[in-house]
Order: sequence, then structure tokens, then C-alpha cells
Amino acid sequence: MRKPLFLQGAFVLLAAACSLAARAQFQPVHPDELKMTADPKFPGADAEYLDYEESDSAQQHSQSYYARIKVFTEKGKEAATVQLPYFANDFSISNISGRTIHPDGTIVPLNVKPEDLVVFQNGAIQVKQTVFNMPSVEVGSVIEYTYRLYFNEQNQYFAGVLSIFQISPEWTVQRRYPVRKAHYQFLASSSMSVMAFPILPPGKNIQITPSNPGQPLYNNFSLDVTDIPPIPDEEWMPPLRSFLYRVMFYYKAVGDALDPDGYWKAAAKTWSKEIDHFATPSKNLHDAVAGLVAPTDSDLTKAQKLYAAVQALDNTNFSRAKTASERRDLKLKTERNAEDIWTQKSGNRNEIALLYLAMLRAAGLTAYAMQVVDRNRDIFDPSYMSLAQLNSDVVILSDGGKETVLDPGERMCPFATVSWKHSGAEGLRQNANGPSRAQTPVQAFSANAVKRTGDITVAPNGAIQGTLQIAMTGQEALFWRQRAIKVDAQELKKQFDREIETSVPEGVVAHVDHFLGLDHPDKLLLAIVQVNGVLGTTTAKRLILPGFFFQTRGGEPFVSEAKRLEPVDMRYAAQDVDQLTYELPAGMAVEGAPEDAKIPWPDHALYIAKTRQTSGQITVARVLARAFTLAQPGEYQDLRSFYQKVAAAEQAQIVLSTATKEITSGTTSAPVGTE
Amino acid sequence: MKNPFVPRIEFAFALAAVFLAGVARPAHAGWFGKDDPLPSWALDAAKTPTPAYADHSSAVILFDEYVETIDAQGRAVEREREAIRILKPQGRHHDCSVSYDVDEKINSFREWTVTADGKTFQAKDTDFVDVGGGEEGIVPGIPVLLVTERTRIVHPPAEDVGATIYCESEEQIAPWNREKVWSIQSTIPIAHQALELDLPPGGHYADSWHQHPPVQPVEVAPDHWRWEIDNMHGLDLRDIHVHPAWRALAARMSIYWGADASTDKDAEWRALGQWTADLEAHRPDPTPEITAEAQKLVAGAPDFYAKLVAITEYIQNNIRYFVIERGIGGFQAHPAGEIYRNRYGDCKDKTTLLISMLQAVGIEAFYMPVDDRRGVVDANAPSLAGNHMITAIRLPADERDPRLMAVVAAKDGTRYLIFDPTDERTPVGNLPSYLQGGYGLLAAGPLSQVVALPVLDPAANGADESGTFALAADGTLTGQVDALYFGPEGGNFRSFLKFTDDKERREAWESFVAEDLPGVTLDSLRFVQPDALSKPLEFHFSLTEPRYAHNAGTLLLARTHVLGSAARLPEDKPRKVPINLGATGRWRERYDIALPPGYVVDETPDPVDLDTDFASYHAATTAKGNTLHYERVYTVRKVELPASRAEDFRKFESAVLDDEKGMAVLRKQ
Repeated sequence: MRKPLFLQGAFVLLAAACSLAARAQFQPVHPDELKMTADPKFPGADAEYLDYEESDSAQQHSQSYYARIKVFTEKGKEAATVQLPYFANDFSISNISGRTIHPDGTIVPLNVKPEDLVVFQNGAIQVKQTVFNMPSVEVGSVIEYTYRLYFNEQNQYFAGVLSIFQISPEWTVQRRYPVRKAHYQFLASSSMSVMAFPILPPGKNIQITPSNPGQPLYNNFSLDVTDIPPIPDEEWMPPLRSFLYRVMFYYKAVGDALDPDGYWKAAAKTWSKEIDHFATPSKNLHDAVAGLVAPTDSDLTKAQKLYAAVQALDNTNFSRAKTASERRDLKLKTERNAEDIWTQKSGNRNEIALLYLAMLRAAGLTAYAMQVVDRNRDIFDPSYMSLAQLNSDVVILSDGGKETVLDPGERMCPFATVSWKHSGAEGLRQNANGPSRAQTPVQAFSANAVKRTGDITVAPNGAIQGTLQIAMTGQEALFWRQRAIKVDAQELKKQFDREIETSVPEGVVAHVDHFLGLDHPDKLLLAIVQVNGVLGTTTAKRLILPGFFFQTRGGEPFVSEAKRLEPVDMRYAAQDVDQLTYELPAGMAVEGAPEDAKIPWPDHALYIAKTRQTSGQITVARVLARAFTLAQPGEYQDLRSFYQKVAAAEQAQIVLSTATKEITSGTTSAPVGTE
Repeated sequence: MKNPFVPRIEFAFALAAVFLAGVARPAHAGWFGKDDPLPSWALDAAKTPTPAYADHSSAVILFDEYVETIDAQGRAVEREREAIRILKPQGRHHDCSVSYDVDEKINSFREWTVTADGKTFQAKDTDFVDVGGGEEGIVPGIPVLLVTERTRIVHPPAEDVGATIYCESEEQIAPWNREKVWSIQSTIPIAHQALELDLPPGGHYADSWHQHPPVQPVEVAPDHWRWEIDNMHGLDLRDIHVHPAWRALAARMSIYWGADASTDKDAEWRALGQWTADLEAHRPDPTPEITAEAQKLVAGAPDFYAKLVAITEYIQNNIRYFVIERGIGGFQAHPAGEIYRNRYGDCKDKTTLLISMLQAVGIEAFYMPVDDRRGVVDANAPSLAGNHMITAIRLPADERDPRLMAVVAAKDGTRYLIFDPTDERTPVGNLPSYLQGGYGLLAAGPLSQVVALPVLDPAANGADESGTFALAADGTLTGQVDALYFGPEGGNFRSFLKFTDDKERREAWESFVAEDLPGVTLDSLRFVQPDALSKPLEFHFSLTEPRYAHNAGTLLLARTHVLGSAARLPEDKPRKVPINLGATGRWRERYDIALPPGYVVDETPDPVDLDTDFASYHAATTAKGNTLHYERVYTVRKVELPASRAEDFRKFESAVLDDEKGMAVLRKQ
């Protein structure tokens, strides 16, 4: 039973059931579609949806799909595999039919029975996927299939929540392959207020038609789109869900405002009330706080002491959440509030954040809750009127009019620092004047720094030995401290070794000797690294070393990506500083060295490199300060030009020769520093 | 092909798991009752101290015992008892699981956890999940293999550092299965392990051992045998470079039962081959459509080789890799007619259709189970443990075409051409590098036997690249590269072309070039892909690299080896495992760099001339007029070296690396 488990892949939850009359029979394919070999609007596409239709009906509890796909390339033949995941307890898939049409018009019908495979089962919950593979698919084939998804109304478990489960389809408008033409329709229940959250190309809108003239609620939604590009795939994109073309339907509660401003005003009040309910300090919590802080402490000191106390709790996002059976055996309460979290000394990141809020209030401090969208997953959009998009709690401490955002649910996060996922993130916050929409501050580049310094002794044959110090603050330090919670010290060193292995020159080996400050989030995190091996190359008269120790393998982003469709999202601003001193072999002198360089990208980033030469030593320093987090596609060529210049500059070499005369061009005797 | 010891649950759906794990459901009656006391075997295992050699491991298996009970019909019921102690936070993922298919059944599965402070928990129904399996292909999100097999996994309660997990399961094994592959080595240590085989009266068995000396069993009762192994170290290859596959190095024992079980290895291989041949009997029978297609393909073919090319390329080009395996479908192919109609199938399906089409034109061919990880199939350890199926094509006695290189001779002298129809891009006559140097089971009925797969001459694989560049005084390098890739290397690049579109292709190539030229811009990229797989694939591209060369005073420094790295440095530690050289082949590169006006060559790197039994490397830089010429030929002659040759390999590769970094020093006149 020793078997490794790999859980990977993607899953599309088919949580909606709708209807539409499926195509009873396929229509003849137009000869032009059989002949086409590419779509000039989407050059290079492997396949294309010539036509896609989806029709959902809340009344009929079913959902119908039709797809006609043209295969352009060998890779496009993968479109022949159709996977349809669904909740088997509550849905069923039927009426599958399909055919493959060859370019010469030959038709091969789908006659292999689709396989119904279990994807996941836990107790009574079962997720399955129906899979079929279109027959005889060739480059040039047209694939055509249709199927229907039914909601099983007799299911007893969901009987009480049927109306919730049946009526919220999500139209996936942007797909793996470009879409030439698509039509979507949703016949929604008229008993509730249906809302649509569309992310669509400019000029495209959902059509809403009243199903029953004279009725105040419209419930027939439709959308027609043409020439939709495929899902983009670029490095450093914002979260895909934030810009992928799609339409998500959801229902409003009776009395909810239908305009975003009105909705969020009311929703913020509801949310704030629930937060206050959870975070109201009980007597026990007051007593606990009294034991943690002294009356003579300043407000800031109190806040810091309480922060340390909640950080020390078992944060189940970084350890392990107790299973349901374990909680039952331990007789732990299910309904929880701040006091429960404190009593159990355990909670998830949001629970711990709200516990901290409660403790601050118990200590008499002014503090507010804020709930934001995790920027790693999505970006807040007020037009999607649902609290469901908010997922991360942070706390705002107000001390003498100065507000500080705190992230106590993020284990090992220093006081007054937040995880990048919660910086520049929008959501709701409490305030003295009542709750409202807000955004957390964006971090300065100086808050997230990595500084690598070292002293390396070079032998005449290029062999080196030395020690590096890698100092980390901000997000990089947070990353490794959180990693250290999940693995032991030895494994952490191995993982760090693997990380630096990708940046030291080939032929050089680097091993972490030890860390300093790993358990103290408010201090600098320092990794002491031993390096040895052979650096550079020799000729009869010279020894040539890479000028920039950590950049010999390249690694600057965007250098080889000529075009950009989507914005660049670097997650957070940051600064890298390197300063390495080579102790030169006796009898060798510097014949050439990297020139000083200053490469600005105004208002965005700055690169500075300097070289200092003294007797028997040469020191090369570089600073790359990146002040931007997001760059729009229109800025991409400037961004790329900046990184190309940096990458090219970092290929400079140090030439040592046995000649006694030193050639100092390109070097300076001024102290190395940064501007 | 179904692999009897590798679970195939990669294509599970994590998001669903995460979502559903949080969904509360009404409790259901347990499969096994509630709060059973910790069984006596677990109490005994709990007394096992953590061995000292496990100090660096994330967890240790204190006890692992299998009991295989075979009934009169040869069907097995397997009981496993296992105790795992979690030593480090990252050890939590060493859970217990049981895989089962449509023709198998889990009779029971229980788990207890005893925490470091002595509290006992028992897993309930909600702690068990079943996940389906499959494999993605090269295109993300699209499976090429799906299976009806599921894996039941327990997520133990109180799974914290210091806790010990005790699992006990019983499973009825598929009726056709006559082999137990006992994986006696894991990534973590195993303090004590045992396997019992309880046969019906008079039952036969045979055992074979891979990477471990045979252990003698004790007959604990009539026809009931027990093997025990203590203190097996973990096999962790994570920080070892260029190592063979983990499965090739991990110790295992295979045990078979039934009338065919034989301690004579040749006889056992023969029995396994016969079983395979019987299982696939009539699957390749050609339909009229297959016969017509095959005869049309070979019409006009001038010789045996041409016939083979016509049919193998048809399979390679037209049969897409995809399959859903159900039960014994992990071993048994679909009928050839079905594969031909649908134009898709897995490795054994492709082999089936190939055998069928060859049969239709009078050429005999056979199934050959293998593993695509060299070293997993062990000639001294007969077993069906493997993950792939290829084809052995019987050669006429007088057939000596030199293009048919991947030839093996059976014990009776019959020669077979080994061919992998699943590899869509390696031409017939050649052999994918991953198969070379391994073993395969020739499933030829009574003539079945294990055969060593050939290691081909370096000339059968490699590349020939030439580049012409001009270097400007500001360091900018511009130029053109023309490359030919042939053999399996050409096949790899053809696959790259198949699974990339224009944009991906350009980005991937630019990234590849940027590893050596970080600021590069590809000015053009063109490829020529001849229809005939035996012809080399051509890549032609032009590039601009600003600041390729660097000023240092009056000097200009330029690397003479412009593109591509062949150096593979092993880690700087004592070596215990063999060195995997990957593939034999010959890679030749020639670069001419025109110097900027006014510059002359002051120094060039020293030439390198290395010649060993496993590889050779010859590189030299010369200056002719205003042109710097670099040339190297790198030849690999073996696919694997023993660990004892690590220092030789390190020296060799260090010299390669030094040469690749070599700089020419140019001086302004």
C-alpha cells in the first residue's frame, strides 16, 4: 500500500442544471467548413469551435450542449477527447451523440459507449466524469457532439436546497480553442431575482427578455458571440478568473439592492454585523487578554503582544485541520467564535485573524476587520454582487489616527506586514463611520528585499571557495518561514539548496550551512551559504570569471517573449541587491571588469551595477529595484526592453591576467553602493 | 499497458477533492463498525523503536506485512497490515491506500492512529476517499489514459509528528492475476516487513528478486510460506543527478503461483510470454478493411524495409494515443478492427493493429511487454512488472538491410526487429533511446523469452549544427544556425513540433536559445519536416544577441561555443547509484564568427580531446583570417555507467563544461 499520490489537474464543477432542446439530429456541415485549413483570424490555432451552443433551463432542470469543432493540426486532434465531470448524486448525463466528418465528407458516427468514471468519492458524495473519444479524427476533421445534463430531482439530500442548486449556470465563453460562433441561453426561474456577472469582450452584452410580458422580473438570458480568442497562456498573468470571458449567474435574496453601490452598502452592514458577532470579546477572552498585556503597555505594545499570542496558535492552514471524526472524538465544538478559537488554541487563518480582532478590542484598542479577495486567486469586482468573492480576513489597527493593516492569519507574517496576496487587495472594511468598500495598501519595493553578499576566494585555475549571506525581508522571508512550518530543518535546507542551485554558475555547488532568524518573523532572515567549485574559464594567460555571480544562467523574465496580450502581474514590488567580492589569486591582476551601468525604466524600475577594485580584490554590486506590480500590455515593450538590457549587462566578465599592469577602464575606486 | 505496481491516480481532480472535503454530509453506517480496539499486531508494532537509520527520513514504516491467500482456482485475497510512524511534518503524506478495479473488491479497510501522547483514534467513513486515475499527455488537461481502477485513501485523524498510523486492509484480487509484486523498498525506511503466501494444498509458487539477494522463506504451515526482511533503507533520489529510474533501482520481489510457476527463469519468462500471447490471441486478426488498407499501403513497395516503413508510419501517423482501461484491459488490447475504425488506442492497441496489418501482408510480428524506464525489467527477475508494449517483427533469414538497426536475436537464432509504434516519431529500424539497453519479453507462445534490447551505434542518433555569425565591435552577435536532428533526437523534435503551435514553438525555441544567449531575439525560425521519419528534421533560425561579447579595456571577450550545452555534472558526493547517460548518439557543432573590423584574436581556449569507453569529446577553436572557427564532436557510446565510474564521468563532464564556457580574447589592433 505504499503508493505515491499525485493530485493534479483541473475540474469544472457542473453545479447547474438547465435545459434546451438538444439538436435531435446533426445538420449537414457546410462544404467551406470541410475545406478550411485554418482561420485567418486566429493563425496558428490547433482547432476551432465553429459553433457552440449551451442552453440552460431551471424549469426543466436540464442543460444541453452542442459543439462543432474543426481540427487544424495534429495537436488539435486532442479535441477528440471529451470529459464531462459532474456530481453523480445529483446529476446525470445522457443523450450523448456525436460524429466525425472527414474533409471528404465521410461521416463516422460515435458508437463507442461513453465510459462513466469515478473521479472522487467521499461517503455519499460522488464526482464522476463521463468520457468519450470521437472516432477516426484526422487533421481537417470536423467533430460534432451533443449531450444533456439532468438534475435528479428525486435526490433527497438536496431536496431542501434544490432552488439553490439548479439555477446558477456559468457560461464559459473563452475556451481552449478559439470560438467562431457561440450562442448561450438561460431560462431562469422567475421566482427569484437572477443576476448575471459578465466578463465579455468590449461591445458584447447579454440580452435579457421578459419571459412573461408584464412581469417585473426578466428571466430569459441569451448571449451571442463571435470570434472569441482562446484562453491566453502567458507567464506572470493576473489570476485567470479575473479576466477570462465568462458569464456567471447568481440569485439575489429578496430585498437586495440591484445596483452595485446599493448592494455593497447593504452587504457591508450585514457582513460587519456577522464579524462583530464572531469577534465580540467574551469575559474569558477579556481575562486572557489581561494575562497577556500589562496596563502600562502602550497601545502598540499591546497590539504586538497579542499579535505574537495569536501567531503562536495552531494555524490549520499551515499545519493540519482536524478531520470531522477527530473533532467528534475530541468533542470539539463545531459552531465557533473567537473565544472557541482561543480555547482550542487552533483555527484557520481567517478565524485567527478575527480572534486577533476580538483580542484587540478586549484590550481596549480600536480595530477593524477587513475582508478582501486573495489576489492570488481573483480580483475584486463590485459588479459581481456577492460576498462569496471575499475570502481573506485582515485586521486594521487604528492607533492615534494612524492605521496599520495586519495579517495575523498569515503564519510567520511580521507585525505590520501583510502577505502580498492581501496587499493592494480590495474588499470591505469596518470603520468608525460604518463599513464600506476599501483597498489595502500596495507594498513598497523596499519592503521586499533580498540581499546577497559574499566573499569568494579564487584560485589561479578558477577554483573558488567562499561564504554567501542571503538576507531576506518581506515576502521572500515569509515564504521560507512558512515553508519551515511544513518541513523540518534538514528538508528546508535541501529545498533552499535546490532554489539557489538554479542561480549559481554551472560548476559551482552551494549548500546552506544554517539559517538565522528563521523563528523570528520580525527579524531579518539570513541564510549562510557555503560555495565551492570551479568558476569561469582559463586561457594560457588569463582567468575569466563571470562578472555577475548569480546571473550566469540568465533568468531575467520576459527576455524572450516578444509580444504580450494580457497585463503582467509581478505579485509585489521588490528589490534585489547583490554584492560579491572576489579575492584574487596572487600574481593576477584585473585586466577587465564589468562597466558601471545604470538602466532606468522611469517610474517603474531601476538597475544599477558598479564595480570596485582594490589590491587583490574586486567587488561587483548590482541593484534591481522593481517598483511596479502591474504592467499593462501597452507598457510591455518598455518592460521587455528594460529586462533585455539588464540581461545583456549581466553577461559582462571579469578578466584576470598574469600581467602586472592593471587596466582599470570600466572600474571605479569609489565605494560600492546604491543610489 | 497496466503496470501492476504503479498506481495510476495522477489524473484526479484536486479542486473537487478540496471542495468536497468541506461539504458536510449526513453520517452513514460504517463499513467496519466503530471504535474497534487497536489490534494485537498493532500493539506489537508500536513497541518497535524508531531505528537510528531513519533519523533523516520524514517517516518510517515500522511494520508491513502481506498475506496472500490463494484459493483452489488461483484467486488471491490479499491482507496487508502496516504501521507508519510520522517523524517530520512532511511525513504526513505517507498515508495508506488500496487500489481496486472493477474485478476486485475491498473486503475491509481500517485505520487507527496513536498519537505521540498515547491517544488512540480510529478513522471513520468520512476519512476515506476514493479517487479515480489516469494520466495526462503532453497537452495539459487532456488525458491520454483513464482507468476504471480507483484508489481508496484514508486521511488519518490526528496525523501529526510522533503519531503512528496503523492500517489493515483486505482485498479480493482480480481473478486473472497470478503475480504479486512485493515492493520491499520505499522512499522511506522499513524496519520490518514480511510476505506470506498461503497456497492451496499442493500449490506451486516461484519467486524472483530485483536489486536484492534472494531471501529464503520459512514454511510456517503446510503450503504456507513466509519471507521476512528487516532494516530496509529508504531510496531517495531527489538530490542525485543523472540517475536511473527509481523503479529500476528499488528492490522488489515477484512471486507467482499456479501450475506455470517455475523456479527456472527461462521457463518462467516463457510462461509469462505464453500468458500474454494467449491473452491477446485473435486480437490482431485482420478485418477485411485492415487487410485492404495494409495491402494498399505496401503496393509497389520495392523491399521488406519499404513495406515496414509504409505500415509503421501509417500507425504512427494515424492512431492517436488514448485509452480507457477497464480491469484486465490494462493488459489486454482492443480488437484490431475496433482500433482501426476509431483511430485511437494505447501502446498495446497500436501494437495490435501493427501486428494485424503486418500479418495482412505476410509479415509475422509479436507482442513485447517492456518498461520505458531502463532497468525496471530485469532478466533475472521474471515478472509482468512493466508499463509499456512494443512490437517484435520477425525478420526473414536473408534480410540484412542496414537501415534495420534495432535487431535482436532469439535463442534459436531467429532475428527480430524491435519497434515501438507508440513513439510516433522514431522511424522503424531505429529505437527510442529510453528502450535501448533494457529488456523486453518476446511473447511468442512457446518460444517466449526475455531479450536484451540493443544499444544502437552513436551514428543512429544525434544532431549536426552549424552557425555563421558576425560579431560587431559593440558586442552584438548576429547570424544564422542550420541544424539537422536525426534518429530518436529527431523524433523528439518532431514530437515538439506536433504538440506546439507556431506561437508556442517560437517561444519555446527562443527560451531554449536564451539559455545561452539571454538577450536573444529570434529574427526567423523555420523548420523542414520530411514526411519520411528516417530523414533528418531541419531547423533553420537566425538571431541577434546584443552584447554577446564584452569589452574589457581594449579586449573583447567572446564565447566560442555559441549555443547548446551538453554538460551534465553529477553532484559532488560519493556516488552509490549508476549514472544514466540517457542515449547514445553523436552531436556535432560548427560555429564561425566573423570578427569586428580592427580586432584580432589574442587567445583562444585550449583544444579538448577526450576519449573514453563511454564517450568522446573533441573540441577546438581556430582563428583563420578574421574568422573564429569552433568545432566539436560529442559522442556517447553507452547508456549507463556503474557508480564506480563516477569520478571518470565527473572529469569528463567537467572538461565539457569548461570547454562550453571557453572564451576567445580579442584585441583591438
